[in-house]
Amino acid sequence: MLRKRLVTVLTLNDGVLFRTKRFEPDYRYTLNFVDAWSVDEIVLLDISRGPASDRSAFLKVVETFASRCFVPLAAGGGVRSVADFQRLLGAGADKVVINTAAVENSGVVTEAARRLGAQCVVVSIDARRRAEGGYEVHTHHGTRPTGLGPAEWAQRAQELGAGEIFVTSIDRDGSLEGYETALNRDVVEAVAVPVLVCGGAGQWQHFVDAFVDTGAAAVCTTNVYHFTETSIRSAKRYLRDAGIAVREE
Amino acid sequence: MGTTVGVVDYGFGNIRSVVGAVERLGHHPIVTADPGDLARADRLILPGVGAFGDGMQHLRARGLVEVLDRLVREERRPILGICLGAHLFATVGHEFGRHQGLGWIEAEVVALQPGDGLRVPHVGWNEAERRRASLLFDDVPANALFYYVHSYRLACGDEALVTAECDYGERFPAAFQRGHLYGTQFHPEKSQRHGLTLLRNFLEKA
Repeated sequence: MLRKRLVTVLTLNDGVLFRTKRFEPDYRYTLNFVDAWSVDEIVLLDISRGPASDRSAFLKVVETFASRCFVPLAAGGGVRSVADFQRLLGAGADKVVINTAAVENSGVVTEAARRLGAQCVVVSIDARRRAEGGYEVHTHHGTRPTGLGPAEWAQRAQELGAGEIFVTSIDRDGSLEGYETALNRDVVEAVAVPVLVCGGAGQWQHFVDAFVDTGAAAVCTTNVYHFTETSIRSAKRYLRDAGIAVREE
Repeated sequence: MGTTVGVVDYGFGNIRSVVGAVERLGHHPIVTADPGDLARADRLILPGVGAFGDGMQHLRARGLVEVLDRLVREERRPILGICLGAHLFATVGHEFGRHQGLGWIEAEVVALQPGDGLRVPHVGWNEAERRRASLLFDDVPANALFYYVHSYRLACGDEALVTAECDYGERFPAAFQRGHLYGTQFHPEKSQRHGLTLLRNFLEKA
């Protein structure tokens, strides 16, 4: 039976680990906290913004993780072209996460899927609540509204060739209040590819809720573990006791 | 000392993680498409993710089909195919058209059709249920999980080749062995300690 995944998302600024809250940098972590034997997958996101930002520092981080962690590794942030896909795959990523450029130039998604395989194309969708209800996809680190609904965009992304969808609630990012159930459910129901949900986890029960209420394939966390030795194991024990099939090592 | 492993570089897949795993195990990977280098390797790994037709086309474009055929069929060099690499051992692949494979095992590659609302691609950690003894699984617990990511699967004409199966709506080969030919649908280089054990078995026992 396929297990539900617990995915650790690490955000990096110029190669330095960062925590974010509502998409703003919070405080720094050091590199060594990933409990590599029990995490199911790692996502590295480059959130460097300035024009002076050094992408090579991020590529080095990807290389470091790829050579030290024998788990699936996704990487993204600032991906705009198939060449960017190839650079990250070349640095050791198994999948590439694309967000803004997928909206602006959807041909990149199709081209990457055709040339590199759909399994390495993860389309990331950042969504914010609309004042009048529902959600709206935002690009450019969550700063620019697109007029797109997350479910319709997810469906389109799948048609373009996405192998997975990674949906993040901007409102819940760093809030520790739990995942945005309605958003995640809309996206999961809109597509036939696996969906990873992110934003809001503050306690183990939030993972259970996300799996039970939305049918997500994976729950992602940036903040909740503080990356201690035992926390992922503890989370998985909790999930197992709640009847969710997870991988325990 | 360690064994020298020719990791076949045909422009496909995350070769770095295969190389990293081989190094971690104390052996010597050579990433190469050079026939001479491949001939000097004690063992071969054919990695790969992506589409079957493209994979074969890349092998052909680099003149690797003949080289591998000679090393594997005539010189009986042990080889491990991973994911697409294992698919290419088959006779035919039905992925975006019909493509001829390396023809080393009696098998075809077909689309995953798990049904029952199960999502494709099949991504994540799943079992490899043993069907037949294989040295690949020495010291690997029966309930070990491995990382899969694929939309196509092998259909083996010769069931006796299948050493382990995976169940995702339908059953399909998770691993196979035909003499010195080994293949896994999952990615041992991404499957943490059990994946490393399996790779070590290939590197030291195959």
